[in-house]
Amino acid sequence: MKKYVMIHDENLCIGCQACSVACRNENDTSDGVYRLQVHAEMKGVFPNLKTNFLRHSCVMCENAPCVEVCPTKASFQTDEGIVLLDESICVSCKYCVLACPYDARYVDPITKNIGKCTFCFTNRVAGGEQPACVTVCPTDALTFGDANDYNSEVSKVIATNSIKYPKSELGTKPKLGFVENKKGGRYE
Amino acid sequence: MNNMWGSMEQFSHIYWPWPIAIYLFLAGLSAGAIMIALLVKWNKHEDNTNSIWDAMVKAGAITGPIAISVGLLLLIVDLGKPLSFYWLMLKYNFVSVMTLGVLILCVYTPISFLFAMIIFEKEIENSKLLSFLSPITKFIRSFAHLAKYVEYILMILAICVAMYTGFLLSAIQKLPLWNTPILPLLFLVSGFSSGIAANILVGMAFFKGSLNKDSIKYLLVLDLRAIMFEIPVLIMLFLGLHFAGGQAAEAGVQAITHPTYGMMFWIGVVAIGIVSPIVIAATALKNHAYRPVYIVLNCFLILIGVVLLRFFIVYAGQICTGL
Repeated sequence: MKKYVMIHDENLCIGCQACSVACRNENDTSDGVYRLQVHAEMKGVFPNLKTNFLRHSCVMCENAPCVEVCPTKASFQTDEGIVLLDESICVSCKYCVLACPYDARYVDPITKNIGKCTFCFTNRVAGGEQPACVTVCPTDALTFGDANDYNSEVSKVIATNSIKYPKSELGTKPKLGFVENKKGGRYE
Repeated sequence: MNNMWGSMEQFSHIYWPWPIAIYLFLAGLSAGAIMIALLVKWNKHEDNTNSIWDAMVKAGAITGPIAISVGLLLLIVDLGKPLSFYWLMLKYNFVSVMTLGVLILCVYTPISFLFAMIIFEKEIENSKLLSFLSPITKFIRSFAHLAKYVEYILMILAICVAMYTGFLLSAIQKLPLWNTPILPLLFLVSGFSSGIAANILVGMAFFKGSLNKDSIKYLLVLDLRAIMFEIPVLIMLFLGLHFAGGQAAEAGVQAITHPTYGMMFWIGVVAIGIVSPIVIAATALKNHAYRPVYIVLNCFLILIGVVLLRFFIVYAGQICTGL
């Protein structure tokens, strides 16, 4: 069974927001809400400043709290572990939005359905393509693939870097990992 | 964190607004009213002039089903897609507290109506408007030997309804103010106390003829105990957050010092809902004298306190996250 993993290398990210635009374009996201954002966080005291670029999207938990609380099983997990939403049986009770520790879900202002990053599973990945955000990243900060395949690009990134999985203390086992920004400036 | 792309609005939105707070209040009130009606019905009083069907039983039997129906209506209206609510009854996820709640309510609500029909059997048959229901009351009558079991089941379900509303919130790991095992107990106790207040008010307003002063005295004593019990439960809630440390401790401090919700807690929940009923009980209603004006005032203050407690927990829980 495939285990799709995405790694965001914060050392390579330049905050250009191409991924965010590509995501909106690919998934036709409604105005005012975001499946994916890259936040800029400035740290330090002048003149020793550094800016971290932090990706904010669904982390595809293995033990997903949103799937657990959903009363109708509209939030579900595919065999590959991708957390998706069946809009036809979602009543939009917003329990999953509150349950998500990563603030990755929102209410679509037009359809009233719950929206979230899907790793572009149905529209791209299932057909063998890469997610939209990964394809457009100009610095290759994003890597996506099957972590159970030892020859895949993403396996190599995981093998050669220390990967941080956010809020790992919650035991949700995310499949979106991060290579944390080290001192900064290496590629700037 | 400052963003450089897009809006942060979706991360700080109140996803469960006021209808949820009112629903939580009404569910607790309904369960409390039913519990009280049953307790009064089961307790025989020595100088019982009328019958065991006194005003408090009637008040609970009518308040219970009406409160839960209004609450459920609010709950459905608050859904993003209200017309699709039927999926909640067709698809189940047994690890979700919401599903368990739906199942409990699916049994509790009809049984609370059944209880009302049993209690108001004569009134339904004598009224012009409702007499069309008399075949149903006659049918219910033919199962009279099962009435006691209906009452026992209803009592258990009422306790479940009051507590599930607490578990519904405490399942949310992300929000420290909700994610505490004390919440179901707090909601049970405050729901119970609001049920008493509502029953006394409804009983005094609509069923004066069968009002039993002993019942009122008994309920006022019970309510005072419930309110007294709320104090340590609230202390446990905030001490629990404090000892959990980190984000939870921070969230607790934020909540009780928040300019709006902190005021709501100190003035609404503590001063109006807890301190003032105790003061009234210790002065005007000393020895539980039957003084209608003070009893009504007392009941209104208790109800206000319980509504504001639900508002405080729902809103402050979503806003004060300790981050």
